[in-house]
Amino acid sequence: MASIASGLRHARCASSIAAAPWRSSIVPRPSFQLAIRSITNDVQKPSNTDLEASSAAESVLIPYQGVTHARVLPATPSYFSREPLFNDLYIGISKLLTKYNHLPTVPPSEAPQMPWTKLEEMRAQMGEPIKSSHYAKVMRVAKRLNLIEPSLRPAEVTVALTEFTRDINPFLNMPNPIQIDKFGRAVGVGKRKESTARAFVVEGTGEILVNGKTLSEAFGRVHDRESAVWALTATERLDKYNVWVLVEGGGTTGQAEAITLAVAKALVAHEPALKTALRKAGCITRDPRTVERKKHGHVKARKMPAWVKR
Amino acid sequence: MASAQALRTLARPAIPVAPRIQPVMRSLVAAFSTTSLLSAAPPAVKSRKDLPKKTKKTYKKKQNIVPVKKPGPGERKAFRKRIQLSNNSALPVTGIENLEAQTMAKGESSGKMFAIPDQVVDQLRALEAFKTTQTWNLFRKPHVLVRKETVELMSKLEASVENKEAFKCVLTGSRLSGKSLTLLQAQSHALLNEWVVINIPEGQDLTNGNTEFSPIPDTEPMQFAQPVYCLKLLQNIYKANKAVLEKTPLKMDWSRLTSLKQGATLADLALSAKESEFAWPTLSALWTELTQPGQPPVLLTLDGLAHINKVSEYRDPSFNIVHAHELVLVRMFVDALSGKTKLPNGGAVIAATSQNNTHYRPSQELVLSQLEAGQAGREVPKPNAYERKYDDRVYDALKNSTVLRLEGVSKDEARVLMEYWGASGMLRSVLDTRAVAEKWALGGHGIVGEMEKASLMTMRM
Repeated sequence: MASIASGLRHARCASSIAAAPWRSSIVPRPSFQLAIRSITNDVQKPSNTDLEASSAAESVLIPYQGVTHARVLPATPSYFSREPLFNDLYIGISKLLTKYNHLPTVPPSEAPQMPWTKLEEMRAQMGEPIKSSHYAKVMRVAKRLNLIEPSLRPAEVTVALTEFTRDINPFLNMPNPIQIDKFGRAVGVGKRKESTARAFVVEGTGEILVNGKTLSEAFGRVHDRESAVWALTATERLDKYNVWVLVEGGGTTGQAEAITLAVAKALVAHEPALKTALRKAGCITRDPRTVERKKHGHVKARKMPAWVKR
Repeated sequence: MASAQALRTLARPAIPVAPRIQPVMRSLVAAFSTTSLLSAAPPAVKSRKDLPKKTKKTYKKKQNIVPVKKPGPGERKAFRKRIQLSNNSALPVTGIENLEAQTMAKGESSGKMFAIPDQVVDQLRALEAFKTTQTWNLFRKPHVLVRKETVELMSKLEASVENKEAFKCVLTGSRLSGKSLTLLQAQSHALLNEWVVINIPEGQDLTNGNTEFSPIPDTEPMQFAQPVYCLKLLQNIYKANKAVLEKTPLKMDWSRLTSLKQGATLADLALSAKESEFAWPTLSALWTELTQPGQPPVLLTLDGLAHINKVSEYRDPSFNIVHAHELVLVRMFVDALSGKTKLPNGGAVIAATSQNNTHYRPSQELVLSQLEAGQAGREVPKPNAYERKYDDRVYDALKNSTVLRLEGVSKDEARVLMEYWGASGMLRSVLDTRAVAEKWALGGHGIVGEMEKASLMTMRM
């Protein structure tokens, strides 16, 4: 943090730096000349003729007028630090925080979700060896700025915060909401293992058909029947809806659990408030477990061939 | 310093060696011993047998073998096939009426539970109407739910007595939907109304070749009787219908068959068969008596219809296959079902199909679907032109019957049933509309057996 602090000190002391940037006022020279020699040459030239001297005096620029520094002054005092771009970013954002510290904030849970740039990503973008502790401090400031009440947030804060966010916002990548069609049906799709189920849920009296068969014909095991209707049982909606399911692929357990997911999704379309209850019942998250692939040298996924003496 | 001492110890032991006990040389010095034992010579080794034997040490634990008494012959099967109709652990359910003669035919008893009277339970047991797969053993006493289809069937039975015409019916429906139980209800209705009930508990017992058979002389094509089965059936008929048979006098002269006194009853006729050779003639005589006008109505029932509609496992003396309809007992049933044998006193012939214990039966499927479509006024399905296994005898046997399809119970009936379970202490959870709807859905839209499986037998899975 020492480098950032020193950079800040520079900014505080030499306020004129920002006002008169050196680089913009400098005129490119026609050719490379050593500075001292050229002074002597230029001084000798007008002594030849007065006419020439008078015309030359207008055309030739007198160097070093208004120049206070002997060398090129960097655009930013952070130039001398280890991470100049990052430093500048921090200075800018800290200034914003001092400026808008008085604005009301919202609790972190209500602040807009931002796809913050990760440390590795920021290192790659800036090409600077950013320390993780420095990154954490900067992100704290950025997250504090994000807490400003969204309706009162100044435009410059929004602009400044874009520097800390990724280009792609994964939070905007939402699935299309399930619509209830004109017949009152909501179609949910669920998967488990190799099975895929489509459930058409409609308000009714608790009749369930799986591939045109009743639950007892479709599933011989009572446990499978129970897991197929678990989304409705857990929310006590079994006698309120009729379900018509198409399911294919996989075995009986997979099919039954695919139906659970499909019915839950369609049920959420009917009653969005049930989503939390369904999540607690384990009907929202897809179970990612599938068959582990076989490996070479193994008999199955993990099994090794039996040891043979020679 | 230390090395010097070590050297010294090496050179000369610090502790003097203990004086050894020198062996006495027996040959040189005379033995100083008073015992003859020591002086005795070691046992002579004369052969390999005298050498000390190597014994292999085993680390195996000795098995603690306790002799277990194995079940005797037939004991396991008897255990498997036993019928348990009561359970003292179940709570007795009060406030349920007993079945009476007309109870099941009345419309208002639809959707109610009724207790089977003890007298009828004994008769039904004699008829082998209870099955091992039914859950009678979970409850204190046998009770039945009278459902809509039951009332429909019983009113048909009542009508048959009035019309003096046989009611021929095939019960069909999906697995565990209560076909056998409806058959049992029909039997109890008949018993309560003093009918004569003849029950063939399993169609497959007749055709799977497990019972003895013998050709009947002078028949063309050859027919076969099953004497042992017939004798058992006669005894069961007598046991179940004793009261009715003892009241009914004979109408025909059977002196050719047996020596019966004047004024003998049907019970005497049934009891006259003491040997299996006379079982079929006696059964035939009894059946002929029962089909005479003026006798009590008859209920003839059979479970597992598909098994009597196939080629049996039996062979004739020239080793040709025997169609099941060539077995006289089966033929007796089939003739009654097809209407060939008239029942002038009314009565019914009811056959129940089975979905578990069955086989490929295209003709039966065809004729039942056609009958059902005809009854419902739908388009009658046509036979499959590419099907080669159609059997005309089966088609003709079934074409004159009516089909009664049994599927799930309604939610109200399911509720009544579940309340009975709850009162028996079998169902511990709160019984409300939601619970009923859940079990109704889990039981495949109210299939009674599946509902039992989902709520009563969860531990048995």
